[in-house]
Amino acid sequence: MPPFIGSHPLSSGFSRNSIDSSSNIVTIDVGGHLFQTTKQTLKQSGSKSILSEISNLDGSIPFIDRDPEMFSILLSLLRTGNLPSKAKTFDIQDLVFESQFYGVEHLLLNSHSNPSQFEPFDLEKSLILPLSGRDSPTAISTTQLGSVQVAHGCKITSFDWSLKRKSTILTQFAGIDSMLSVSPNVVAAGATDFSGLQIIDVSKGFVKETLNWENVTKSGSTVQGIGASKEFLFTSFESSRRNSNCIMIYDLSDNGFRPVSEIGHYEIFGAELDSAIPATKLRWIPSYNLLMAAGSHSGPSGVRGNIRFWDLRSGNAVWEIKENVDCFADCTVSDDLSAILKVGVHSGEVFISDLRNIGKENTWTCLGDSRKATNGKKEGFGSKIESHGNQVFCSKGGNLELWSEVLIGSSIKDRVFRKNSMGRAKDSCGNKITHFSFGGNKMFVTRKDQQFVEVWQSSVRGF
Amino acid sequence: MEDDGGRRTILGQGGDRVKLNVGGKLFETTVSTLRSGGPDSLLSVLTNRNSDEPVFIDRDPEIFSALLALLRSNRLPSTAKRFSNQELIDEAVYYGIESQLRSALAPSRLSGIDASLFSTIRPTSDGVVTDFNAVDSDGSVWVAHGGQVSVYDWSLTHTETIRTHLDYISSVRKVGPDLAGVASEFESGLHFYNLANGRRVGSVEWTDPSDPRIYKARVHAVVDSPDSVFAAFECQHRENCVLSIDKSTMKAVSELGRQSGNSAKSTVVGKLTFLPEINALVGVSVTAGAFGYAGYVRLWDSRSGDVVWETNEPGSGRSSRFGDSFADVDFDREDLTMFKICSKSGDLAVADLRKLSEDPWVYLEEKNPCMRNSGGGTSSLIHCYRQQVFVGREGGLEVWSRMVENRSDVERERVLHEGLYRRNYMDKVEDAGRGIIKKIEGAGDRLFVSREDAEGIEVWQSSQFSGAVLSL
Repeated sequence: MPPFIGSHPLSSGFSRNSIDSSSNIVTIDVGGHLFQTTKQTLKQSGSKSILSEISNLDGSIPFIDRDPEMFSILLSLLRTGNLPSKAKTFDIQDLVFESQFYGVEHLLLNSHSNPSQFEPFDLEKSLILPLSGRDSPTAISTTQLGSVQVAHGCKITSFDWSLKRKSTILTQFAGIDSMLSVSPNVVAAGATDFSGLQIIDVSKGFVKETLNWENVTKSGSTVQGIGASKEFLFTSFESSRRNSNCIMIYDLSDNGFRPVSEIGHYEIFGAELDSAIPATKLRWIPSYNLLMAAGSHSGPSGVRGNIRFWDLRSGNAVWEIKENVDCFADCTVSDDLSAILKVGVHSGEVFISDLRNIGKENTWTCLGDSRKATNGKKEGFGSKIESHGNQVFCSKGGNLELWSEVLIGSSIKDRVFRKNSMGRAKDSCGNKITHFSFGGNKMFVTRKDQQFVEVWQSSVRGF
Repeated sequence: MEDDGGRRTILGQGGDRVKLNVGGKLFETTVSTLRSGGPDSLLSVLTNRNSDEPVFIDRDPEIFSALLALLRSNRLPSTAKRFSNQELIDEAVYYGIESQLRSALAPSRLSGIDASLFSTIRPTSDGVVTDFNAVDSDGSVWVAHGGQVSVYDWSLTHTETIRTHLDYISSVRKVGPDLAGVASEFESGLHFYNLANGRRVGSVEWTDPSDPRIYKARVHAVVDSPDSVFAAFECQHRENCVLSIDKSTMKAVSELGRQSGNSAKSTVVGKLTFLPEINALVGVSVTAGAFGYAGYVRLWDSRSGDVVWETNEPGSGRSSRFGDSFADVDFDREDLTMFKICSKSGDLAVADLRKLSEDPWVYLEEKNPCMRNSGGGTSSLIHCYRQQVFVGREGGLEVWSRMVENRSDVERERVLHEGLYRRNYMDKVEDAGRGIIKKIEGAGDRLFVSREDAEGIEVWQSSQFSGAVLSL
């Protein structure tokens, strides 16, 4: 967009009939105020908005019967991509409504909740989203644009991207254990004590579809974990009798949730413990085209588990890590770092394994203090670990750690990771963190026995 | 001059006048006003057009009117308060008049007797600041907290944070536009990080091919001159030296003052200062032990590496204050004076760097009656800035300001005497409760103060606004 262009004299005020159709300048009358801007600026709003329609009009000055002050804010947004500070005098909700009228909500959203504005080193607790009722959150899901759904008790409360509006719906579950947003208004939800994966429209509050795994024993199928790639939805099912489990793959492309295939089907025979462990965490690794599926089991002989990597086309596990000593309390995978990460249930330390060294002996490298690995106490119990971008976040009790790679130019063999504890002094020692998730430029955190969601974001972008 | 300019603005010829249409609002101003933003700014480019038609600029007219008022009068109108600083900065960058806005938003000259807490910079994680380096040219600050380095720009807006491989950065120094030198007292070496991409671009260790004991030396102080970085290294066995490091190659060039470190007179330098006026590097070392404080000040010619002057305390010479050695020393780069604070009495003394002798100190006299009984030098530190001496005693912050004297300039020149400075508290009683002051640094007419185990850095500024509030 050129910053300035010549125009004919306007010193005697705007003359309504002298609009030169070849000129780039557009005059609009909004609620009695005249605004002038360029066609390029209006075209920023996208082809579907009424503003770009106006930019194509010839002849008289178009009149829009809306509030001129709101329009001036949205015009600033079109010009600079940022909201001006006078927007603070309005509730963001008013701006959302107004931007919907002009068809520029996506720009508002972009200025407000763009994932590229996520600054891991500059996150602070900035908002609290209260949940009605007495139930604490049991699952949380986020969309890329920063809207968030929270399952608490048998209810799901969803907040829109501006975090100013919420709606709560009732579900058939007694409690939801895993939830994933499939599209802005649709979540996949499942429970370990209720058969079937439900695809729920959270804006209207109805079940679009219930997906079940037809297992051999003809019993119900409970959901142990949900994951997704761009094309597929992955669900880890276990039969209600707990004697078989598998991962189902559904097609996401045509919204029909057509089952594509079934991988990792295990039936229990005898006392072989490993096959009885269903996967509870499913993560897709796009650049390797592999699905990570991890599950663990706590028994009298300690915590055992496995992490498997599945190739979807062949349906084979290409690699498996057996976890017998210091099994993971939680694990995840980071595509940007090319690494698998876990937090050990005994040591409570973060471990890394480079995906490029896949299949080698001595898989894990401890990032923290490796001496604690053998003391047998379950210090890492309940810890969660997630990756976002090239950062790794790990919760320990009430505290969050941020692990980041320091680039000091050595080989992949000895990569350097360093830990920061997140938050200020007053934020630490809160209740135990139960879930955290990322969406837009924000991080969402839930804690044990607390009926709200914490929102962490960068201070500069706070509204 | 002033009158001429004024008349031209009022009576300016038609050709001098420029009409602008900003977002539908018409503005009329003169060529000279628009050109005051500098030749490269968008606005002065606009004045080169040969047309009477108003130029259309597709921006917000209200912010433009504030910025035009800034160009006309060199000050921001009160209407600018409606906009956030960030918005004004963004818009000024667009019009190419950022430097005008910077000078309009810059704090007024720091005067210790009229300064107040302006804001506190708080990093979001690991908020306890371990070291910082304030940049005098623009009042920005580079903050080390835990293993991270964060940069806050001239408007004190957070711009970036990087994580280094160190777990506790005890020295941070801006050594280039995007380059930070970081070091830790617990890990070896001086390391250079590029702030733009978070990458380590170089590191310097102290090694000696002829002496295998020289390894894993830790850095206790860093300072830089226009072309070199100086860092005080100390080995495990306490042998120490100051390394001169070339900025362009990031390699050590020479060793200054290598010494054994087995007595108080040869311990590692804990504070390095570079005095550009006389091209000298000064190292100060203070150790506190069971028998009180001991230390030395040593002045090197930075080019030859020779020791020009040196003093030890408790000294062997005829010091007038035996048993009251300094707790901290700092240098006034403009005046070329040196100040020390005594560890026992808490007295402040001044010395002329151009007339250094065996006992150059002049002890300043307490003249402020309400401060008679306060003092004591326990955990005190001093910092010179803008010809004032800022002293932190435990949590209290005080300032020694120079009196304006009636004697003629020639006479006043270089005569330091007891009554030259007046002492005042800068803070309130409740401010002192926030913790022991750990570091004071002045830059860009701001005073940055960090405290022991307290999160963030306090920024003190002088302001002309009365700050009057309605009493209800």
